[in-house]
Order: sequence, then structure tokens, then C-alpha cells
Amino acid sequence: MMTPGDVAGRAVAAARRVLASPWLRPLNDADALDGLLALANPLWSVGALRAEVVRVIDETPDARTFVLRPNWRWEGFVAGQHVCVDVEIDGVRHQRTYTLSSRPGEPTIAVTVKRQPGGRVSNFLHDAVRPGHVLGLSRASGSFVLPDPLPARLLMLSAGSGITPIMSILRDLHARRRPTDVVLVHSCRTPEDAIFRHELAAHARDWPCLRLAFVFTGETGRLDRERLVRLVPDWAERTSLLCGPAPFMAMVRGVWREAGVEGRLRWESFTGPVAADPPGVGTTATVTVTCAHSGVVFEAARDRSLLVEAEHTGLRPRHGCRMGICHTCLCRKVSGTVENLVTGAVSSESDTMIQICISAARSDLTLAL
Amino acid sequence: MASMALPLSRSDVDAIEVELDALRAEVAGDLGARDAQHIHRMIRLAKLSAIAGRTLLMVGIDPLSWGVGVTALATAKILENMEIGHNVMHGQYDWMNDPALCSQTYEWDIVCDGNQWRHSHNIVHHTHTNIVGRDRDVGYGFLRVSEAQLWRPHHLFQPAVGALLALLFQWGVGLHDLELDEWLRGNRSGAEVRARLKPFLRKAARQVFKDYVLFPVLALGNAPRVLAGNLAANLVRNVWSYVVIFCGHFPDGVRTYTVDETHDETRGDWYVRQISSSCNIEGGPVLHVLSGHLSHQIEHHLFPDLPASRYPEIAPRVRALCARYELAYSTGTLWGQFATVVRRIVRLALPVAARRAFA
Repeated sequence: MMTPGDVAGRAVAAARRVLASPWLRPLNDADALDGLLALANPLWSVGALRAEVVRVIDETPDARTFVLRPNWRWEGFVAGQHVCVDVEIDGVRHQRTYTLSSRPGEPTIAVTVKRQPGGRVSNFLHDAVRPGHVLGLSRASGSFVLPDPLPARLLMLSAGSGITPIMSILRDLHARRRPTDVVLVHSCRTPEDAIFRHELAAHARDWPCLRLAFVFTGETGRLDRERLVRLVPDWAERTSLLCGPAPFMAMVRGVWREAGVEGRLRWESFTGPVAADPPGVGTTATVTVTCAHSGVVFEAARDRSLLVEAEHTGLRPRHGCRMGICHTCLCRKVSGTVENLVTGAVSSESDTMIQICISAARSDLTLAL
Repeated sequence: MASMALPLSRSDVDAIEVELDALRAEVAGDLGARDAQHIHRMIRLAKLSAIAGRTLLMVGIDPLSWGVGVTALATAKILENMEIGHNVMHGQYDWMNDPALCSQTYEWDIVCDGNQWRHSHNIVHHTHTNIVGRDRDVGYGFLRVSEAQLWRPHHLFQPAVGALLALLFQWGVGLHDLELDEWLRGNRSGAEVRARLKPFLRKAARQVFKDYVLFPVLALGNAPRVLAGNLAANLVRNVWSYVVIFCGHFPDGVRTYTVDETHDETRGDWYVRQISSSCNIEGGPVLHVLSGHLSHQIEHHLFPDLPASRYPEIAPRVRALCARYELAYSTGTLWGQFATVVRRIVRLALPVAARRAFA
């Protein structure tokens, strides 16, 4: 038996299908409408999620917070989630994932970005993006959020810019005055590098549930098991959230695993923009190519085109001219470095379209094949 | 027609390859915001022109607004087909990493299905340019445009067939990849043709529905005016694209190749073949844009996936290179070039023997 709600839901779905029908082109071409609406106001759109930068805050010498006002397509987020930010640099679209550092429920949202040495997008955001700039955005996603129901005792461990999701969660807890006992252990090089240091200190003063423990590696060395036990004696009994660079995360996860309490640990890998592989990295004659769609993994020589190497393995990728002119073999390179055998151009950017008939691997690769 | 120039030495061809590869790398390395702005501006212009044209046709009642509406809509279709669609589908903007401008998924405003175009044009025509028996754009399977093609009795009608094709050009483009001529000669099975017929019919039905049902119905009482306007705009686009495209490889001065000649081609040989197979049209920036920069057919055939608006910039250097190696660089005015095409279609309708050029 269908309830009136089901009927309404089906009617809405059917209406949506009709409205999106290819037979109604160009009347329902959302991309085209968005392009024209953007002429009037860059934030206006029927389908695209965009946000205007309304404030830029210097957090540390190399970290900045960008406060964004999203358009009507924004559907909100849960503290700890991240968004994909879309920027156009010299005509090329780049996407990076950044954790939201603001707390949910406010009209604006914020991402806090640390400048990465050689990082194209982080440097562009720092150098070129000012209030008024409009960025493309994805919906918020991610499962690095507080457990429900909220545990009585929490431990948060972060290092460097891994503080950003933790900060969003802390701001959320603080705003809602949740009676949860929280310890934050944050590791960074120096006090000046500690993002949100002043706000955290202020929260700790007026919110007795929060205890802060900073580890300044430039002064006292890296956090280890012994230090951790000293700082948080009841660490193994707390529900813990972890976010930071890979070595930091590996250390913490090792401690939890040894104690057999890894189930109490939630973590988010926070690698930031993938660092560019230097061309010619490694000395082996072949590299490993992973095909994300088919699951096939094969070895490819550095001096032969990826198309030829894939065919050697028995794959049959789409192709046409085999000389780089027709673009039929266009394939998304998920990660890794390739060299264009015609122009010599080297591409290390993740999520880039490449022509596999004239591209040779220069590092281990993942392709959307 | 064979070229009059002496054949190039192997070292000359190798040197040409190095020079043109370097030119390509130079432009590819310089692509940036300016090129992105250009294509975005063209897309905006095409959209606004289409909206203006369709609105004038729908709301106007006088012949003047009808004429302006047709012109605006035809301009929109020409821009979309030639400067945007054709060029985007070549991969000229793949470097921008914008899904809306991805060569392999873009669908253009014409009855030709995008995937069939990518096959017949980007792969078959651009790889095998002017190789008789390989490049199906040499006469499109039914016109005789080169002495190297065998004469058949149906070629007697080709002046009339050519004129009809001008009016129905988008349908010719749409049917091209079906290779119906191969089917008629018994080289294609019915099943193969039917498989290719499906995407063509789906695309054509949508295009016909849009221009001859959807917009006329939306215009209510003005339906006949809108229908006639859309028909006229499609006709203008058809004739214009026919003229431009026929000036690309059919004027006097181009040469065709045999399969044997191109057997062990190097990249340098391929470059030389592209130059000798293509003709440019002289004119100003408006002509360049309205032709989708096919006015620089030679540069386009050398670098089909470089943004077309770069062709006018590199043309003087390509021309200088041709002069240095005594390679013919064929160029002329639009109507001058087109006149030689018409003359050739009429002349080759008769069973004339290959001319003394082969002597």
C-alpha cells in the first residue's frame, strides 16, 4: 500500500526526470543557465555550488583561513567533514579537498589552508584569493565525525594542519556546551605554528571540559608513547580522534594497536595536496601502473607509451590515431607522474586527463582504466 | 593531383619534424588564462546569440525581426558547431581539466552524433588526411574531387548533388560515419550499418524535435514563424559550413596520396602530408572565428588539438618554414578558393583522365 508521501515522492521524482530529459535541451541546460547567471552575479546558479570569499584570516605565518559564503545549493555539513574546492589557475581547473574548520549552523563556512612548498593550489589561495573571489565547491562529505551518542570522554590528537577538522568539532562542542570531557593533544613545530592557538586557549579558559596539551616538536622533540601516557594517563579508555601527517598518524595508530584498543580510534588521513614526484624518480626501468576501474595492475617501461604497455598486459583501452592527435585515448590519471613523449611536458598533478598513446610513466601511476 | 615541387630529402623531412614539434611544444607550454577566456567568451556569445535569435523569432511579428532572429540563431549555431564544438571535440581544451569542455563527452548542436564525429573526423580524417581509400573525407564516399578517384557514372550528377549537399550539409555530416557507400558496395553488413544508425537516429530525432516541434509549440500562435526561422537558420549554417569545409581540402593546389606512398611514414612525413593536403582562407578575425579557424586549415591539420585561436599567431612561422623547404602553402580568398572547388567538382563529373601532372 502506498502512502500519500510515497505518491508525492514518486511524482516529484517523475517530474524531475521529465525536466532533466534530453528532449528538453537546451531549455534545461543547467550549465548554460549557470554560465549566463554568472554574468549577473558570480554566485548565482541553478545547479552549481559556489561560494564567495568574504574574509581571509592569517592564522600563522603559513596558514590562512578563508571564510566563505556559499550559495543556495549548500546543504550544510557535520563537524569534521571536508569539501572539494575548485579553482581556476591560468585557465586550468584544479580541485583540492580541504576540511571545514568552522562550526556547523553558521551562515558562513571556513577552510583553513596551510601553504605547501610547491603546492599549486595552496599557494594560489594564499597569493591570489582575496575577499570577493568566487570558488567552486562540492557538497560536504566524510565520516570523520563525532560518534553518536557522544562518549563521556574524548581524546583528540592532531598535528600541523590536521587541527582543522578537530577545530570544527571543538567549536561545535563548545557552542553547544556539551558536557563531554575533552583532551586535545596538538603537535606542531613552534608555538607560532599552532593554528587557532589563541581561540583554543580562550575556549580552555571559559569551558572547563576542555584540556589542552601542546607538543612543540621544535623545542621538545616528537610526540611518542611515553609522552602521550604522561600527558593523558587514561588515553586507552577514551574515544579518540586522530588527524595529521602520515608519520604522526602511523605512530599513534601503532600505540593504539599495541594496546589492542584500535577500535577506540577514529582517524582521517590528512595528506594535503599530493607532493609532486620529481621527474625520473627512482632508478628502476619499470614502474607499477594500477588501473582503478578494472583492478588490473601492470608493469610499464619508462620509455614506452602507456597505451602500448596496457595492450601488452591484455587490456584494450579506447584509442584512435596512436600519435597524439585525436584524443580518443584520453584517460584520467588519478595520481603519479607521466611525460608527454611528443612535447616532453611532465605532469605530476593528480586527477588530470592524459593521452595514454603519447604518455610514458615516470613514477608509479594510478589510471582510471 | 601531384605536387610540382621536388620531393623533400629525408634530412629535410626530419628537420621539419623537429621544427614543428618544437613549435607545438612552445604553444602547448604557453596555454593559459587567455585561451580559457577565449573559449568561455565564445560560449557566452553563442548562448546569448541563440537566446536573442530564438526570442526574436518567438515574440516578433514583422519580417525585419524575423531576419535578425534568423541571423542571430544561425550565428549561434555556426559558432557552436565550428569555433566551439569542432574545436572542443578535437581536445583543444582538454588541458583545462573542465568536464564541460572534455573532448570525449562534448555533444554539439547538430544532427551528427558526437561519438560518430569523433571517429570519422578526429581519427579517420585527421590521421589519414587525403590518402585515397583511407580518408573518407576525400569526396565523402560519393563526390569525385581528385583525379586519383575512379570515375563512375553517378559522378555525372555531382554538380547537382554537391549543391543539394550544401543545403542539407548537417545531414551529410550526420550520415558520414554510417559509411552507406561501403554498404551499397557490399563491404558492410546490414547489421553494422544498423548499429551505427541507432546513435544517428537518436541524435537526429532530438535535433529535429528541438527546432521543429519544441520551440514552435512554445511559440503558440507564432509557431509557423518560429519553424520557418529555425529552418532558415539551419540552412544558413549548412551552406556556410559547407563552403568553409569544402575550401579545406578540395581547392586546386592540394595533393592526394596513395596508401603505398604513406606506408612507412614518420611523424615528419605526416606533417608534410598535412601541409600539402590542406588550404587556408585569407580574411580578418571575424572570418576566422566564424570558420572555427578552419581558415587556418593547414595549421589546424598540423596541430589539431592546439586551441584554434592560436593558429593565426603561428601561421606566419608555418608559412616561413614552408618557404624555406619549398613546400607549397596553399592560401587564397574564400570565394577565390571556393570557385576552384566548384570548377573541380564540375570538371571531375566527367571521366577526364588523370592530367599531365603524373607525366
